[in-house]
Amino acid sequence: MSSHGGNSSAANDPRQPSTAKPYEAPAVSPQDLPIDYSGFIAVIFGIAGVLFRYKLSSWVAIIFCAQSLSNMKNIETDLKQVSMAMMFAVMGLVSNYFGPARPGTQRG
Amino acid sequence: MASSTWSSSSLFIPREDTLWYYIALLSVLSLLGQELSRCSVLATTADFEGFGDDVDDEDFSESSLITDLPIRSNLPPPTTLTPQSDFETDHGPPLDSSSSPPLSDPIPNKPSSNSFDFWDEDEFEGLPIQENPTNLKSPDVASPSKVESDSKVEIQATPPLPKTLGSFTVEIVCVSFLIAFLFNYFSGKKENENIALAWASRFATKDSIFDKNFSLLGTGDGKDTPLLLKEGQNVFKFYASGRRFCQGMLATMDLQSRHDLISRLYNMIVPCKDEITFEVYMNDDAMDNVVFALAKKKLAKVMHKELRDLQRFASLVTSGPNNRKWVADELMVITESKEVAGDLITETVLDQVFGDKAFPKFGKGFISMHFSDQFVGSHRKMLILKFALQDAKNMADMTRLVALVPYYIDLIGRYKLSSQARPKTEAARTKVAQEVYKELQNARQEALQKKKAEKRKIAEEAEAKLSAEVLRKREEKNRAKQMKKVMPKVKMTRAH
Repeated sequence: MSSHGGNSSAANDPRQPSTAKPYEAPAVSPQDLPIDYSGFIAVIFGIAGVLFRYKLSSWVAIIFCAQSLSNMKNIETDLKQVSMAMMFAVMGLVSNYFGPARPGTQRG
Repeated sequence: MASSTWSSSSLFIPREDTLWYYIALLSVLSLLGQELSRCSVLATTADFEGFGDDVDDEDFSESSLITDLPIRSNLPPPTTLTPQSDFETDHGPPLDSSSSPPLSDPIPNKPSSNSFDFWDEDEFEGLPIQENPTNLKSPDVASPSKVESDSKVEIQATPPLPKTLGSFTVEIVCVSFLIAFLFNYFSGKKENENIALAWASRFATKDSIFDKNFSLLGTGDGKDTPLLLKEGQNVFKFYASGRRFCQGMLATMDLQSRHDLISRLYNMIVPCKDEITFEVYMNDDAMDNVVFALAKKKLAKVMHKELRDLQRFASLVTSGPNNRKWVADELMVITESKEVAGDLITETVLDQVFGDKAFPKFGKGFISMHFSDQFVGSHRKMLILKFALQDAKNMADMTRLVALVPYYIDLIGRYKLSSQARPKTEAARTKVAQEVYKELQNARQEALQKKKAEKRKIAEEAEAKLSAEVLRKREEKNRAKQMKKVMPKVKMTRAH
């Protein structure tokens, strides 16, 4: 238990309100942020889905978008990449399902 | 404070990069629109590009059934109505499709072969407008103006298709994964929050260990501020300040990404633990020359290799002083001198946590401990203690580990090196400082030399240019002289 704390600071109260400093969040420059791998993967899959008209790729891009969104820490800085990936993924899906409609085969 | 004002201002006045971003977004949108319209009009080209194999299989099976109409064979089941309506106009009563093809074979084949070029557009026209057969009366006179209007209709009226479940495997799997992801996001988030709150309620509420040791708890400066600061979904921070010997303490809980289904699956293969790291920022005058670390054997070796201060000042110690108990066998000490190690690993600590008897029981969550006055960064003198977090119910198990934090703050705050050990440590520090200074100077000199070389290069280039110009001028002069030499003769001749 706190016998440790008790032992070492038995004599007097260790607290010193006068020296209390409020918390300062360390300033992190945007370059030092950890790389958003899932967002990057999402962009790649999204582009591949659009280029090759491969719907699975677009779906995977959407899944990685979801991962990237759920891991986001700072909305301001991270949203760009994610929304870019999202655009590509949705575009791939739309062109896949609605665009090149061979009569009646791929719709629905 | 600063961050909030910055964010609000950036909301209203787009910075340069956000502006670029919006432009990029717009362009992608416009691309999308273009793509859509192009695809709906030029469906013929798309026919050949990309479609699943299963679709092709269906087409083949159909075409094998109706061999007489190879072009019509691409039509899906509901479009069998179109041939019917064709026959309606050409002949008489609608026949059932199974008997009609052989009967009306020569006649419907003709227009379709004539209108082969327009075939696709016709089919698109024919599809949704089954009600008005007037459109189909003259298939060979396909008006191109209708294509656009009809393509719109075509998007709206997609006929329900009898499709096998197998052709949607990708969609079903992906959508169900997304749904699972969403559910997991909320449940995992809750789980992580529960762990963090359990920790905070155990150690940071009133009359708990941190409340007794620190006068300011939580990241805010007032009384009613939340204790924990949440960063992302899996990082929680707890800050405390106002204690003797130290400026403050920051505990960072780095939990598993339970909210993220993908990394959760990954963690099933590569398990990882919830960790909590205590960083204690010591006062500059309250910490003597101490470089000390304690960790499990494997990790200790890694730390000794990778951490700069340990590498420079400390060495691995396998055994303690002869005449006393030492830490459990799994642990290894890295220290600058044996004296420091002996003084920092006291009897009480051995009894409570690190001794042979206590460690298996109370030291389960212990990962590492690293005290140094030579850290690189904003705080030079720091104590870093790393523990594995227990799950929310068994938080009490780590009470003794958490108690190490204030204990070591006091121990190190009061600790003074003996007069024999101090000169050694100071010599080592001055040596390292000199090395650092030399490195810095070397780097500076290199930079200077580079600059000089660049300057010289520029000067040479300028000289080369100059010399070229000088040469040109000289040549011009020469030419002028020659001209002059020639000129008088000419003049002479003129004068004559």
